[in-house]
Amino acid sequence: MTTTTQAPAMRRIPWGRIGSYAFLLILAVIYLGPLLMLVNTSLKTMPAFMKDATGPAIELNFQNFVDAWNKASFPKYLLNSAIYTFAATTIYVITAVYVAFPIARGYVKFSGALLTLFVIALFLPPALIPQFQLVLNLGLYNNPIGYILLFVVNPIGIVILVNYIKTVPKELDEAAAMDGCGYFRFVWSVVLPLIQPALATVIVLQAIGIWNEIITPTIYLTSKDYYPITRGLIVFQGVYGSNWPTLAAAVLMLTLPMLLLFLFLQRYIISGLTAGSVKG
Amino acid sequence: MTYHFGRGWARFIPYLLLLPGVIFYLVIALLPSLATSLYSFTDATGLQGAPMHWLGLENYKEFLFMGQASKDNLDALGRTLVFCFFVTTIQFALGLLAAVVLNQRLRGTNVFRTLYFMPVILGAVIQGLIWSLFLFPLGGPMARFLDLFGMRSEFLGGQPSEAFAWVIVVQIWANMGTTMIIFLSGLQTIPSDLYEAAKIDGASSWQAFTNVTWPLLTPSVNTNLTLNIIGSLQAWQLFLVLIGYRNGTQVLGYLIYATGFGQTSGSVTSSFRQGYAAAASIILFLLVLVIGMTVQFILRRREARILG
Repeated sequence: MTTTTQAPAMRRIPWGRIGSYAFLLILAVIYLGPLLMLVNTSLKTMPAFMKDATGPAIELNFQNFVDAWNKASFPKYLLNSAIYTFAATTIYVITAVYVAFPIARGYVKFSGALLTLFVIALFLPPALIPQFQLVLNLGLYNNPIGYILLFVVNPIGIVILVNYIKTVPKELDEAAAMDGCGYFRFVWSVVLPLIQPALATVIVLQAIGIWNEIITPTIYLTSKDYYPITRGLIVFQGVYGSNWPTLAAAVLMLTLPMLLLFLFLQRYIISGLTAGSVKG
Repeated sequence: MTYHFGRGWARFIPYLLLLPGVIFYLVIALLPSLATSLYSFTDATGLQGAPMHWLGLENYKEFLFMGQASKDNLDALGRTLVFCFFVTTIQFALGLLAAVVLNQRLRGTNVFRTLYFMPVILGAVIQGLIWSLFLFPLGGPMARFLDLFGMRSEFLGGQPSEAFAWVIVVQIWANMGTTMIIFLSGLQTIPSDLYEAAKIDGASSWQAFTNVTWPLLTPSVNTNLTLNIIGSLQAWQLFLVLIGYRNGTQVLGYLIYATGFGQTSGSVTSSFRQGYAAAASIILFLLVLVIGMTVQFILRRREARILG
C-alpha cells in the first residue's frame, strides 16, 4: 500500500477547554483559599490552631465571635463607620447633583471650564499635607465633623453624573418649568429619579471608599471613641495579633456582610469602574 | 442653553445651589493640592500654631543629597519603581488572560468572574489581614504548600525583600479583578463576526488573538496600563497593614506618610516634618507625572499606528 490516505477523523480532545478550566480553577483556589482559611481559623480554639494551623475546625468554637464582638468594640466602631459613610456620602451626592446638573445643561456660565476645573485635581500633586494643616488650623483635628468633611469631594463622581444627565431629554426642563415647577424641586423630584443608575454607581463607589479607608482615620482620628471599624481592626490586631482565631472571627464578621453586599452591588461597581476608565 | 426656570433673580438659583459643591472642592481638594508645592519650601510641622519658615530648596536637597537619609529615600524610590513594574506587568498579563478565558462560552464564567473581582470591595485592611493569616509561617496554608516543594519562607516577617515580594502578590490578588473587568468590557465590544471571518480564513485561535483581539483591545490596554502604573506608584496601604513601617521595605508613599505624620520604626520616632514630607510628595508626583506622560505618549502613538 503506497497510497497515502487522509488520517481518520479523530475525535479531537478539546485541549483549549481543558486548559481554560484548569486556569480558572487554579485562580479560583488562589482567590478562595485565603477566605476558607479565614473561616476555618475563626471556628478553632487557640490550642487547636497552634497545634495544626490548617487542619479542619472540628470543634466549631463559636466563642471566638462573641469574644471578638466584645473585645474589639465592634458595635461602637461599626456605628462610627456607618455614620461617617452615610453622612459624607449623603452630603457629597446632594451637592454633586447640583453641581453636575447645571454643568450638563449649560445653565451656568463657563460650564465647560467648570467641569475641567473639577477634573484638574486628578492631575495635581496629592493634597495630603496642606489638607492636614487646614483641618488642624480649623480646630477639626480628631473631630468627626472634620473627618466627614474630607470625604465630601470626588471629581470622578461629578464626571459620571454630568455624562449621564446629558442623556436626560432637555424638553423635560421646559415642560416642568411651564407647569410652574421650580429649579430646586425639578432637580430633586424629576431629575434624581431619572438618573438613578448613575446615582447608584456614584453612591456605591463613594460609600465603599469611605468605609474601607484606613490612611485618613490613622492620620486624623486619635481618640478610640472616633475610630471607624478599619482602624479598630488594626488596633485589635496590634493587641490580639497572636490570637488568630479571635482575630479571624473579627475579620470574618466584617468580611461576610461586605461579600453579600458585593453580590448585590457588583453591577454598580463595574459600571463605575468602566465609566471612570473611559474618561481616564 | 436657554434657562426656563424664571428670570431676574431666579436666574441665580442654579449658581447658588452649585456653590456648596464648588466650595467643598476648592477648599478641600484643589487649593490644598496646589499648596503642596508651597509647603515643600518650608519647615512646616504638624503642630498647631508652630512658626513656619521659608527654606527654599533645602527640603529637596536634604531628600536627594544628604547622607544616609537620602540614600534611604532613593532606595524607597527605587523600590517604588520595582513595585510598580512587577504589579503592573503581572496584573496586566493575568487580568488579560482571565478576561480572554472568561469571554469564551464556558460554564460557570459568572461565578469565576465574581470570585476574582470580589476582593475589590474588601479594602486594604481586610485584604491585608486575610493574607496575614494565609501566610501564617507556622504551618499556615502557604507554608504547607511551599513545604511540598521543600521550600521555606518567613513570609511577611522574613527578609525585607521577601516581605516586599509578598506585598506585591497581595496587591495583585486584590486588584487583578479590576483589570480583568476592564478587559472584559473591552472584549465585549469586539464584534463576533470578526472571529467568524477569521475562522473561515483558517486562522488558529492564537492568530485570531494577535490579529483581531489584541489590536481591537487597544483602548482597554491603554486604560489598564495607565491605571495600573499610576495606581501602583502611589499605593502603600497594603504595606501599612501587612508589614508596617519596616526598614528595607518602604515605598515612597509610606515614607511620605511616615515623615509627615510621625512613625515609630524600631527605637527611632520621626517627628512631624510636614514641609519635608510635602517635598517628598512633590517628588513622587513628578515621578508619576513623568512616567505617566511617557506611557501616554507611547500608547497614543501605538494607538494611532494600530487603529489609524
